[in-house]
Amino acid sequence: MLSPLEIEIITLSLRVSFWAVLIGLPLAIGAAWLLARTTFPGKVLVDGILHLPLVVPPVIVGYALLVLFGRQGAIGSILYDAFGVSFAFNWKGAALASGVMAFPLMVRAVRLSIEAIDQRLETAARTLGANRVRVFATITLPLALPGVLSGAVLAFARSLGEFGATITFVSNIPGETRTLPLAIFNLTQVPGSEAAIGRLVLISIAIALAALILSEVLSRRIGARIRGTPT
Amino acid sequence: MMRSLCQSLAAIVVALSGATAGAAQSETVLVFAAASAAPAIRAIADPFTARTGISVTVSGAATSTLAQQIVRGAPAQLVLTAHPRWMTHLSDSRAIDATRRTTLLGNELVLIAPLDGATTLEPSFGFALEAALGRDGRLAIGDPTHVPAGIYARQALTTLGVWASVADRLAPAGNVVAAVTFVARGESPLGIAYRTDAALSDGVRVVGLFPASSHDPVRYDLAPVSANMTPAADAFLNHLRSDAARTVFERYGFRVMAAS
Amino acid sequence: MISVAIQKRHGAFALNARFEAGLGVTALFGVSGAGKTSIVNAIAGLDQPDTGRIAIGNTTLFDSEQRIFLPPERRGIGYVFQEDRLFPHLTVKGNLRYGRRRPNDHGKGLDLERVVTLLGLETLLDRLPHRLSGGEKQRVAIGRAVLSRPQLLLMDEPLANLDALRRDEILPFLERMCRDLAVPIIYVSHAIDEITRLADTLVVLDAGKTIAAGPVAEVTARLDLAPLVDRRDAGTVLDGQIEDHDGPHQLTTVSFEGGRLVIPAIGGAIGERLRLRIQARDVAIATVPPNNISTLNCLPGVIAAVGAPRHAHQDVQIDVGVPILARVTRRSVTDLGLRPGRDITALIKSVAVERTVAPGS
Repeated sequence: MLSPLEIEIITLSLRVSFWAVLIGLPLAIGAAWLLARTTFPGKVLVDGILHLPLVVPPVIVGYALLVLFGRQGAIGSILYDAFGVSFAFNWKGAALASGVMAFPLMVRAVRLSIEAIDQRLETAARTLGANRVRVFATITLPLALPGVLSGAVLAFARSLGEFGATITFVSNIPGETRTLPLAIFNLTQVPGSEAAIGRLVLISIAIALAALILSEVLSRRIGARIRGTPT
Repeated sequence: MMRSLCQSLAAIVVALSGATAGAAQSETVLVFAAASAAPAIRAIADPFTARTGISVTVSGAATSTLAQQIVRGAPAQLVLTAHPRWMTHLSDSRAIDATRRTTLLGNELVLIAPLDGATTLEPSFGFALEAALGRDGRLAIGDPTHVPAGIYARQALTTLGVWASVADRLAPAGNVVAAVTFVARGESPLGIAYRTDAALSDGVRVVGLFPASSHDPVRYDLAPVSANMTPAADAFLNHLRSDAARTVFERYGFRVMAAS
Repeated sequence: MISVAIQKRHGAFALNARFEAGLGVTALFGVSGAGKTSIVNAIAGLDQPDTGRIAIGNTTLFDSEQRIFLPPERRGIGYVFQEDRLFPHLTVKGNLRYGRRRPNDHGKGLDLERVVTLLGLETLLDRLPHRLSGGEKQRVAIGRAVLSRPQLLLMDEPLANLDALRRDEILPFLERMCRDLAVPIIYVSHAIDEITRLADTLVVLDAGKTIAAGPVAEVTARLDLAPLVDRRDAGTVLDGQIEDHDGPHQLTTVSFEGGRLVIPAIGGAIGERLRLRIQARDVAIATVPPNNISTLNCLPGVIAAVGAPRHAHQDVQIDVGVPILARVTRRSVTDLGLRPGRDITALIKSVAVERTVAPGS
């Protein structure tokens, strides 16, 4: 039903998006908690910077990643020398690009979720001897779960569609960085590929829809359990 | 249907911009140019605008992208492709006035490396390209499936007998300028681009020239987009053939072909 | 023993509280906005005063001079809030056990079973908070705070959000809890009957200042505490015990330090201890022992003090062995020549019994 090439492309896309969210989500939760529950000098600025990938052209994000995380990049060179980790022209770079582009979405969703939690519950937990870490782990996070989940799935779907930053940062290498959107792009540049394009587009839509529906269902279930209303 | 819609839209825009019959009015000319030639055309457009008052907008992108857009009705008046294949495609789709198609420029393919480096490598038959890439380096080129510079590069490497050894060591960029960027940033130890691109970037140096016999001549074809032509566009089209324009093209490193 | 001396400015409101509380229940009484919640929040560490010091025993929780501020989770202070604040994603059992892993465990405390029994939560353990009634939720909140082994328990008007039925339902639980818990309890309330029932010590707050602190009976008998005496139900608290039951007449005799009181029959064993409340407006004064009068409780006493006149009334403090208050008209004070030192008879028309659970039950 699916050609080996299509399977390769889909598997790569899923892997890239999965890792983008897996690594990005804890960071996003941390950032969201900081923005929702603490104050510090320059908070507005940090908030703005975190949202840049949403508003800046993706190619610029890709170029910034190249400058920072490329082989000679400020961060990239350190990572390579110290840990042997390289993002150059491999799926990890694609995951990084997707993760960065989707990061603001995760932060927003989680932050809204945390802000909706009654802080009086958190102070009650503190009077019961829980330090801030324990309050976060046992009260804030469980209650924020619906938002966390929907943020993760939204980010996953966004990652599946990520193009501009990816192709600018890690180019279009079959098997390594040629995710669904890049594969579709290639086909659109070659006349006569309408059928193949159609297939890939349908597959993209199907995966994204499945993810969105799953998120909605899970979100409702968990939300109901927390609020105690019948599902 | 899309095309006639875009045409109507273009016509409305033209009408709204206050065009009146009989004089060279449409105030803007939109040129779709291959990414590698866009900077030169902009440099030519500025004095032209100053002189005539006609403003020229140059949209530079991969030839393949531009061609697809024109086929679907983009409102450009002139198109400059980096590979004849695409102009032929446009001609077959009746998007351009084939009678007025000319080859405007020629270019050369070079092997480039980051500026601070000592690699020397002359592209010749069987040259040690794969070895020069090192353990995990990748050769940055325009995507050979559709970017003209990539198509020429693949051809050259095939002719020189080294394509098979580097076919899975490529970094296929979306356009040739992006490929140059990869090399300039040191992300790739080597890349293939036009001589003109290498000259524009101050992060790369030319390591060697691909022999002209190793690939089809790099030809930049110029043609008007039939449906969108205006007197102002005509004026600019002619200006591109002028001596003043030739001086600029040659300064950028292009070869200017005689009008056929 | 907790000592509190704090000051805080909040816009136009100036808090200046100073008191100490030992074992037993210390009630913080005042009208809304008097600053009660600010004080308990400062004690709990949820709010930081501008200046002052709060210490429990040898541990300083807050000292503005020495720049000490212990965060709430390290103070070992349990807090029962006005709104239950139960964790919606945990069962009753989960909520109760949340505080068990308190860092500095003071070891004092009741175990889960005992608390569950005391508060009547046996059948509710596996329920989620949204399926509990208001009274049940508050009981769980109390149990949760108690089970966290605190060295001090704060309660901020825990029954304020409940209707009368629920309050009456919980008060016995609360009483038993307070008896059984061997730590000081600070109980904030503006309801006199709760205080009467539960408190040993009474601290009175007026516009951010502590204006009185002392045993309940003493403080309620003072004439100068506006938050107490400005009320229609102003009155004094007495401790007594059941002496005798008069079956045929449905009366019970209660003895106290100043004598005896006869009240409509209540159940209870001889010797059982009680708390009584006598409202000032239920006490009349006779300068001559009355004859042929229906009131059963006529106690001889001496006028200890006469309060300032307010509108038509004036309060008089009478020593009948313990101090009680009488509310009479100004005219009577003048007409009868009521002065400190004068021997009179106090006629007590009605006595409210705030039952105290006998210790150990």
